Amino acid sequence: MRRVLVGVAALAAAALFGWLLMTGLGRLLRAPAAPTADPVAEVPAVAPPTGPTAEGPKIKASLFLASEDGQRLVGVQQDVPLAEGTVAQARALMEALLAITAPAPYSSTIPAGTTLRGVYVSDRNEVFVDLDATVRTKHPGGSMQELLTVYSVVNTLLVNLPTMTEVQILIDGQESDSLAGHVDLRRPLRKNDGLIVTPEQKTQSPS
Amino acid sequence: MRRMIQVLVLLALALVAHTDGWGQGANPNALTLLSREGRRALPIVVINNQDYIAVDELAGPFGTTAREAAGGLTLTGRGRTLILTADQNLVSAAGRLVSLPAPVVRRDGRWYVPLDFLPRALGPAFDLRLDLRRAARLLVMGDLRVPRIVTRVDSGSSNASVTLEITPVTPATVSAEPGRLVVQFDADALDLLIPTLPQQAFISSIVPGDGNTVVIATGPRFASYRSSSSQPDASSSRLTVELLPSTTDLAAAAPPPPLPVDIRPSVPPTPSTGLRTVVIDPGHGGDELGAQGPRGTLEKEITLAVSRRLRTLIESRLGLRVFLTREDDRTVAHDDRSAFANNHQADVFLSIHANAAVRPLIKGAEVYYLSVERADAEARKRADDAATTLPALGGGTRTIDLILWETAQARFLEQSSQLAGFIEDGLRARVGMSPRAVQQAPFRVLVGANMPAALVEIGYLSNPEQEQQLTSAAYQERIAESLLDALVKFRTVLDRTAP
Repeated sequence: MRRVLVGVAALAAAALFGWLLMTGLGRLLRAPAAPTADPVAEVPAVAPPTGPTAEGPKIKASLFLASEDGQRLVGVQQDVPLAEGTVAQARALMEALLAITAPAPYSSTIPAGTTLRGVYVSDRNEVFVDLDATVRTKHPGGSMQELLTVYSVVNTLLVNLPTMTEVQILIDGQESDSLAGHVDLRRPLRKNDGLIVTPEQKTQSPS
Repeated sequence: MRRMIQVLVLLALALVAHTDGWGQGANPNALTLLSREGRRALPIVVINNQDYIAVDELAGPFGTTAREAAGGLTLTGRGRTLILTADQNLVSAAGRLVSLPAPVVRRDGRWYVPLDFLPRALGPAFDLRLDLRRAARLLVMGDLRVPRIVTRVDSGSSNASVTLEITPVTPATVSAEPGRLVVQFDADALDLLIPTLPQQAFISSIVPGDGNTVVIATGPRFASYRSSSSQPDASSSRLTVELLPSTTDLAAAAPPPPLPVDIRPSVPPTPSTGLRTVVIDPGHGGDELGAQGPRGTLEKEITLAVSRRLRTLIESRLGLRVFLTREDDRTVAHDDRSAFANNHQADVFLSIHANAAVRPLIKGAEVYYLSVERADAEARKRADDAATTLPALGGGTRTIDLILWETAQARFLEQSSQLAGFIEDGLRARVGMSPRAVQQAPFRVLVGANMPAALVEIGYLSNPEQEQQLTSAAYQERIAESLLDALVKFRTVLDRTAP
């Protein structure tokens, strides 16, 4: 009888331990803010980079827009605030790309109203760009247009941040299958030089 | 104390059994037993989402007697014995252990066995040939000839055709009766799959007739028919019944009708060793509309129409097996599309799309094959470098050649690029290309395809002129012809490299 009691006690202890382990794990798993497995750094929310009109040092950046024929990307030069560190600089570049009024004859490839939710950088030099769902819901579709949208983001970041190697686009904080049904967004993407056309690059003064 | 623990254990078990849910729903369907003696319906009971049959129902058709003893059921008949145990997947059939996909169930004094019990355990024990046709809910006993018939309906503006794929090869005759066409097979019964009919006025319904016939009830536009048969491979035959309007009706029809489909193979039907099966993927579908033209034309509709035309062309001219990843307007996940091609062991995978751009002037077709990103390349290298070693049953290990789902297409890039080149040639000759004719892109649907694959953008819906073209039958036919040309060329490449 005593043995049985000891057995029951041991079982109860094991069950309690298991329960603690499960709930503890659950909390641990909920903890990371970043949606990727890689260690990442997030832009401090308290210090958003200032807009292009603000005072302070600037860098000349190439922002990629749809070319005149609508089948390539053109790097348009624009002043973007200089930011401390890769993450903040990537965020400044993305905000400039989302806010740009495309100079004729070029056009923006990103649906109007798309907002930036966050930027992260992994220790494998991958940039993660988190956009809100507008980029998908307002997208006109078509694989050419989807390629231009994806690679205007990828190329803008990788051309201006040469130490970075790849970019992955997240939508609403989630890894996404694709934007408009074609391009595979489950992996980080490299720069696409094949899409870039280099005409006389127009310099745009800050508006 | 011991008793208390026993009670607790029983309570816990009862709780587990309860939460597990013996969800039993009445199923109006029954399993039809086909034998020399005729048909007999055996009621199907659904337990835990599995189809079961009550053991006492087997007494009539199979002459079994059941005796319950010591938690088991002994089933005897024809001098053989089967032993069933409640909640066990294993049954003993004439001394041999047989595994079932679901356990034997005893409830309310009745015993139930999963349908697979019949062909796997009962048939072998009783020396009976039992063939379970799950989709048609048929159990065929003995050497009855019950061919499997998969029916498909294609409709055009001036005709409709019914294609019947028959496995194994079975002779059939078509005869016209008032208001209907009757297809009679040289068989004892039919295992028949009939799809939902597309909108058209040639066929009002397709239904199973008596025993070995299929009845095509004709619609208001039907005037005459013609039928042809072919044999795409050794194991199956194909019967095509084309329903035609009257000639006056044809003349009155506003758009000129497309040429009747040429049933005779235009390319000598030399058996190809490298190209036997083609899977065509009509892009988007269901909730996923794809691109949209200024007049409202939806990409998902155009891609399906062109895919259907291409299938008809390939089947009739090349005699290959062709499957579409979707037959109607439905949402299909990317992975399911390439998995469909892999499961059908396709030799070529073609994904059909229509394009869109912000500039309405852009037009022309484009062809894409996969570009491999770093992560994929690394994964592939890992897979190629190290064959995976797995522990084997009974000790030891075995080495397997692992093909990562994510990198399947990487092995076929060279052939895919050749295929893309042939498609470009074909499209350039008939419909014209955009300035960016062939490109590489990380397209989701191509990644998992374990065969040469390309994504074809057949034109720009955002261009008003091209939107109009893409909706016309003649233009769609030209696209299908271009892709057929490409496949003919690619076949010679595959035949050269085939073992």
